[in-house]
Amino acid sequence: MKAPLVLPATTALFLFAVLAHLGFFDLERLARGVRNLGILGSEMLPPDVGILPTVGAALWETVEMSFAGTLLGFLASLPLSVLGTRRLFSSWISSVARFIAAGIRTVPVLLWAIIFVILVGLGPLAGTLGIAAYTVGYLAKIYADLFEGTDPEIVEAVQSTGASKLQLVRFVILPEAANAVLAQVLFMLEYNIRASSVLGFVGAGGLGFVIQIYLQSLDYQRLATILLLVLVIVLVMDGISAWLRKHFLLSAQTV
Amino acid sequence: MTPTDDGAPAVQADRVWFAYRNRDWVLRDVSLAIPAGKHTVIMGPSGTGKTTLLRVLAGILKPDEGRVAVFGQPTNGFDQRRLSALIGYIPQQLGLVRSLSALDNVLMGSLGRIGDGKALFGLFPRAETDRAEAALDMMGIAHKRSEQVFRMSGGERQRVAIARTLLQHPRVVIADEFASDLDLALASEILTRIRRAADKENITFLMSMHRLGLARQFGDDVLALKDGEIVPGFIGNEMLETPRAEVSL
Repeated sequence: MKAPLVLPATTALFLFAVLAHLGFFDLERLARGVRNLGILGSEMLPPDVGILPTVGAALWETVEMSFAGTLLGFLASLPLSVLGTRRLFSSWISSVARFIAAGIRTVPVLLWAIIFVILVGLGPLAGTLGIAAYTVGYLAKIYADLFEGTDPEIVEAVQSTGASKLQLVRFVILPEAANAVLAQVLFMLEYNIRASSVLGFVGAGGLGFVIQIYLQSLDYQRLATILLLVLVIVLVMDGISAWLRKHFLLSAQTV
Repeated sequence: MTPTDDGAPAVQADRVWFAYRNRDWVLRDVSLAIPAGKHTVIMGPSGTGKTTLLRVLAGILKPDEGRVAVFGQPTNGFDQRRLSALIGYIPQQLGLVRSLSALDNVLMGSLGRIGDGKALFGLFPRAETDRAEAALDMMGIAHKRSEQVFRMSGGERQRVAIARTLLQHPRVVIADEFASDLDLALASEILTRIRRAADKENITFLMSMHRLGLARQFGDDVLALKDGEIVPGFIGNEMLETPRAEVSL
């Protein structure tokens, strides 16, 4: 076999083996799944909109948790990502900062929520702290990589004016990365809205608790209403993100 | 210790050698002296080490061997703030922050003099803002003070970069391939403005260029660099037999 074909052929073989192990070739089971999908779909329709007044408070709590958690995580990620920028700090300082970010990121958001439920008790405070913690780990890594990619000529030119490290961050690194910083925080907000809708599963507030009740009682029409609500919130967030991008981000074509 | 003129060259390199991480020498035994108050142009083919030489002279790169002195003071022990009072550096791509306004970019020239506290909130002393606006005016773009740099033309960006360096009040400005991307008439106009500003502020300029016509117009002296070495016998102004052209503004 020719060398260029070895890698694709090996990958295809590996994928085939993995899919077989996971049950993808159990056709009877797959057919049963398709039938069940039809049944589930029919049981979800029509969505029961009568629960809207009841779940309104839970929905608002989810939005609050996502917004506050994202903002707190964003603010905490900035100093950590600056410390993790090798262009600004010695390799051991940046390595420690990056190690802390990696450690935080290793823990999934649901596990963070459980940890904070243990620490501060049931409710939206635990959920908000869980979202903030996960956001710090994710954004600190992304931002540190972004900051390191700042055009070295600009850094050198402003450094040669005698600017301090803090001034470099304020006048060069943040403005140069502003587009990506804003885009990432908006992405994180959207992600956190979806994530926070399940944190109630572990008692951390928001819609998750209601979703859990409807799932356990097989009340799929009400569950469908909740899923539609999450969809509406995510679409609204998409609209706000698009507006912010249009009004605050630089036009890539003119740079 | 405060550097004094005392007849010392503005910038002096003494047997400087430099290589990037275990690669071949880029600069080989370079010695030169840039006289104070004069404007010197370094010419040479692409890839010959002009940018590296300027970065070593500006204190951005440390020479592997040899020493660099500014007004007689070796710069290897200088911290960046102290060096910034002596040398301003403009890289080839100018090093401007594109999303900020022309005025904000120029104000960065004052960062070496002001503390972190107010600057972090974008609060610059009134005197610095006045000086920044005067520098933009001197370069003929005062009306563009609030425009973001990414919306500006190449020539306007060159003027912002010079204005930023003027606000820094260095005694020497080192600029890499300045005005190289501009058409001849515009480059000539900008260089004439720079000469006026430099003469007014008593600044020594050291620029690399690849256009002989511009070098003749701007430089009092021309040095040639080839394969990381100063070409012997070329130091001086023998290339400048043609009288300098003045461009009326």
